Amino acid sequence: MRKFGMKRALLGAAIAVLAMNASAAQAASATGTATAKILRQITLTKTSDLQYATIISGATPSTVTVSPAGAANCGAGLTCTGTTTAANFDIQGTNNAVVLVGGDPSVTLNGSLGGSMTSTLTYSATSVTLTNGPGTTGGSFQVGGTLSVGANQASGDYSGTFNVTANYQ
Amino acid sequence: MFRFLKGFGLLTAAALGAAAPPALAAGDLLVAPTRVILDGSRGTEVVLNNIGSEPATYRISLEIKRMTAEGGLDEIAEENVTVAERAALDMIVFSPRRVTLPPNQPQVVRVGVRVPEGLPPGEYRAHMLFRSVPDAVPAEAVAAKSAGAGVSIALTPIYGITIPVIVRVGALGAEASIGEAWVSQGADGSAFNFDLSRTGGRSVYGDIEVTRPGVSEPLLVARGVAVYPEVGARKVSLRVPDELAAKLKGPVRIRYSEDREIGGGTIDEADRMVK
Repeated sequence: MRKFGMKRALLGAAIAVLAMNASAAQAASATGTATAKILRQITLTKTSDLQYATIISGATPSTVTVSPAGAANCGAGLTCTGTTTAANFDIQGTNNAVVLVGGDPSVTLNGSLGGSMTSTLTYSATSVTLTNGPGTTGGSFQVGGTLSVGANQASGDYSGTFNVTANYQ
Repeated sequence: MFRFLKGFGLLTAAALGAAAPPALAAGDLLVAPTRVILDGSRGTEVVLNNIGSEPATYRISLEIKRMTAEGGLDEIAEENVTVAERAALDMIVFSPRRVTLPPNQPQVVRVGVRVPEGLPPGEYRAHMLFRSVPDAVPAEAVAAKSAGAGVSIALTPIYGITIPVIVRVGALGAEASIGEAWVSQGADGSAFNFDLSRTGGRSVYGDIEVTRPGVSEPLLVARGVAVYPEVGARKVSLRVPDELAAKLKGPVRIRYSEDREIGGGTIDEADRMVK
């Protein structure tokens, strides 16, 4: 909470500086005119990644699912270790603003020692209404997914990137 | 207190996440304002700020999005754009297109428009996308990892913000009208829904207020709802807590008003019986 307040204050200061630059010429003439323009803003912060943790593949193809709420389901034949998390994004902005959210429906992961896997992606919402009230600021959405693991999937570190956007209308 | 604990939980999760595979540099961002309208030749400025804790490189680009009947915005690949959408991409000019910012360093992006002569009157629109470019994973970090028995996975989201940049050419008018309203119950919770239709040569944009007759405090307020010209009507679906969904059933007044910054005049107002 405090962190966000601080960021907002810093942006306010930044905008004030920009405004002052614009009127720097007038400011030289000693009658103190202060101008500040407040712009509506949106911020997007990632607070956790989508993590499937470590998986030991089995003799048959299977899947691992992490729900947008973060609940993991390790498919038959697989051994899953480590902490799984869903990706979480926080949005801050104008109170009651409606923000559309979305992103890629799936992602391909390539292994450091060859091989690839695909994961479908599941979004907790298609729109978020920001709520700034007692105990809440802004809104958030989560991304989970279902990872398809092949039979005797080649071991290694698999990595991939996917696009997520928060969209003002 | 609860908020504090929740925050702590997230921090713990982040710390655990950082301990497992090395997380890539953050790309958290702030964009202001959240909507740009250009009419005539005067340009404007958009502020981008790095609100992450590490330096980050951001890419700024234009893309075409089309509104759907469900109220979403579909991304359209560049090869599939219409002539008017192509014109929007070509006439909106902006700079810079790529910038590396230390934490808490704002950058002004200048946005202008060059309307080509003879362009038919209408509303032209593109969506400006601000997003961080992830750092390349250092090669030694990959090489240093031993090939264990398992499969470890690192998924990196490339996340960003889009805001509409709208260019209006000629005198354009538009009207909107509120249709049926209902409460729905889906897998991801309750929602208040209503149909919103539009006529005219431009988009409509404004705030929604739902009130119960005789009660001054609005039941629901949603700001920044648009109907773009590519759709004649859209569904507005607003997720609400279950207890509010129950309260919304019955007689309500729905008011769709213009942005407060341009006066907040009523676009349409209707009394509806919410099912």
